[in-house]
Amino acid sequence: MSLLPFAHALAARQDLPVPAWLFAWGASIVLIVSFFALSVGWRAPRFEQDRWRPLGAGLSRALLALPAQIGYGLIGIFLLGLAIYAGLRGTQAPDRNFALTFLYVTAWLGFPLFSVFLGDVFRPFNPWRAVGRAVGGAFTTLAGQRPAHLRYPEWLGRWPAAIGLIAVVWLEIVYGASGGVAVGLSPHAAAVAALIYSGYTLTMMALFGVEQWCRTGEVFSVYFGMFGRLGCFGLEDGKLGVHRPFAAATRWATVPGSAAVVIASIATTSFDGAQEGAFKGAMASTFEWLVDSSFGLTSALRLTDTIFLGLCFAGVGLVYLLGVRGMASVPGAPSFKKLRDGFAHTLIPIAMAYLVAHYFSLFVFQEQAQFTYLLSDPLGTGTTDLFGTASSGIDFQLLSANAIWYVQVGALVIGHVIGLTLAHDRATAYWGDYRQAARSQYWMLAVMVAFTCFGLYLLSVANS
Amino acid sequence: MKHLKGAVPLVAIVAVAGLTACGDSDQSSTESTQADTAAHTESTAKQSPVTTVVVKNGEPVGGARELEYNEGEQVRFTVRSDVADEVHIHGYDLMKDVPAGGSVSFSFQADIEGIFEVELEEHREQIAELRVNP
Repeated sequence: MSLLPFAHALAARQDLPVPAWLFAWGASIVLIVSFFALSVGWRAPRFEQDRWRPLGAGLSRALLALPAQIGYGLIGIFLLGLAIYAGLRGTQAPDRNFALTFLYVTAWLGFPLFSVFLGDVFRPFNPWRAVGRAVGGAFTTLAGQRPAHLRYPEWLGRWPAAIGLIAVVWLEIVYGASGGVAVGLSPHAAAVAALIYSGYTLTMMALFGVEQWCRTGEVFSVYFGMFGRLGCFGLEDGKLGVHRPFAAATRWATVPGSAAVVIASIATTSFDGAQEGAFKGAMASTFEWLVDSSFGLTSALRLTDTIFLGLCFAGVGLVYLLGVRGMASVPGAPSFKKLRDGFAHTLIPIAMAYLVAHYFSLFVFQEQAQFTYLLSDPLGTGTTDLFGTASSGIDFQLLSANAIWYVQVGALVIGHVIGLTLAHDRATAYWGDYRQAARSQYWMLAVMVAFTCFGLYLLSVANS
Repeated sequence: MKHLKGAVPLVAIVAVAGLTACGDSDQSSTESTQADTAAHTESTAKQSPVTTVVVKNGEPVGGARELEYNEGEQVRFTVRSDVADEVHIHGYDLMKDVPAGGSVSFSFQADIEGIFEVELEEHREQIAELRVNP
């Protein structure tokens, strides 16, 4: 029996491992850039102060007018509804059903990619926020007073979002297993999960308030919003404007549990990459051991995956906390807790780089399906052809293996450079003395080099 | 502007690395695959050594076979099966029926790079992995 093939039911094609020479080049560039950065760093923080400039008042008013906001919300609600309907009623062939590609590729990968350039683009389209605001508005009109909410526990912070993020990935690549083979999530299961999540989210919004829950608990708002902090557009005092690059990111991790969100992101992507290569042998042994210990094939596979996903989260978290512990030992350091939260945002570019490295080709290929046959025939029944593109296919020649490799390695190197830049900047803000700030950065440098080289390593052994 | 000085060589290194890297990315040929895929019956497949994937009880004997080619080469393999099913090469999207106790042969040009699953469609069983290197 072949163990753990094609974890993504959607992917008809998998990436070739990055060749050894490119791995060596990538790692060398990372090391050279890192040591170079140490010697030339600036001495005063440059990103802590935002230089927010509002866009034209007319543009801001037009884009943020109530009818426009209702329109964005309706688009979000319609697309979520379509995905759920297609999942429940459409074909159960994962690649022919609108639900899986839309939820797990177009939205789950697309929003981070767009947010990182533009800002938090998910917020206006968030279907649950739209429903929550509509219900809240109706209540205020009818009852003549604003709905009362429970106080959100401060200490809980973004932990619900971090756990939810792991659950979303777990559902796709761990739960979607049967008979000892990972076949991927069925569209029906994805739709049921989306319904359950909708119920849970609307309940939480009713309890704690729509904006409070979006800021700390709603998985997609928090996760996509995190990447949006790297983007240039933002909302301040009800006006659209342009941030100074990276300035918004420096204020992201002020809520407890933020570090857990970005660590969960790196860990889940690492797990997905490693199960096809680096962890394959270890996972196969664990799986066989569990089967021998009289576990059923499906539960043994799910348990194996869950254990290794957990190990990834623990491992990534441990590397980060070791770096923070090291920084705390440098004279003049603020508290461990302040350092832990204060440097969490420097991992956002690394998380983005991991996403691009592992899912770039899947995204490019699967979006061809999304905008051709999945749009014309969302249920995959073969009986509808709304836009005349139902019989199209995916052109797998669009990207050569070389092009994919360079994007993967390039993303990791660029993410590394931006992460280092943010960490250096934060250090100059925390340590008045420049020499101590530079010393503290040996630790963050080690953390970043570890993550980037691990990312390169995962690529070089993927599917090999 | 003094503090900006460091950033310039940094960007330069990354940019140069990116440019040299992109230089030798080659464009693969875009001839259509499906059109020139010809069915070879067992008797005519005599040119190069042909890999045979043997399927027993709907599973590949000895596990999923690895079929590795370089871009542009001719992929040739035969599936001999004791169960009737359809053999599906993902990505290339080639499908052929195999009768119970019979065999089916594939011959086509490897013009899409990547790793692809060869699957017994009804049994949902991966019987081989096609690997096309650039």
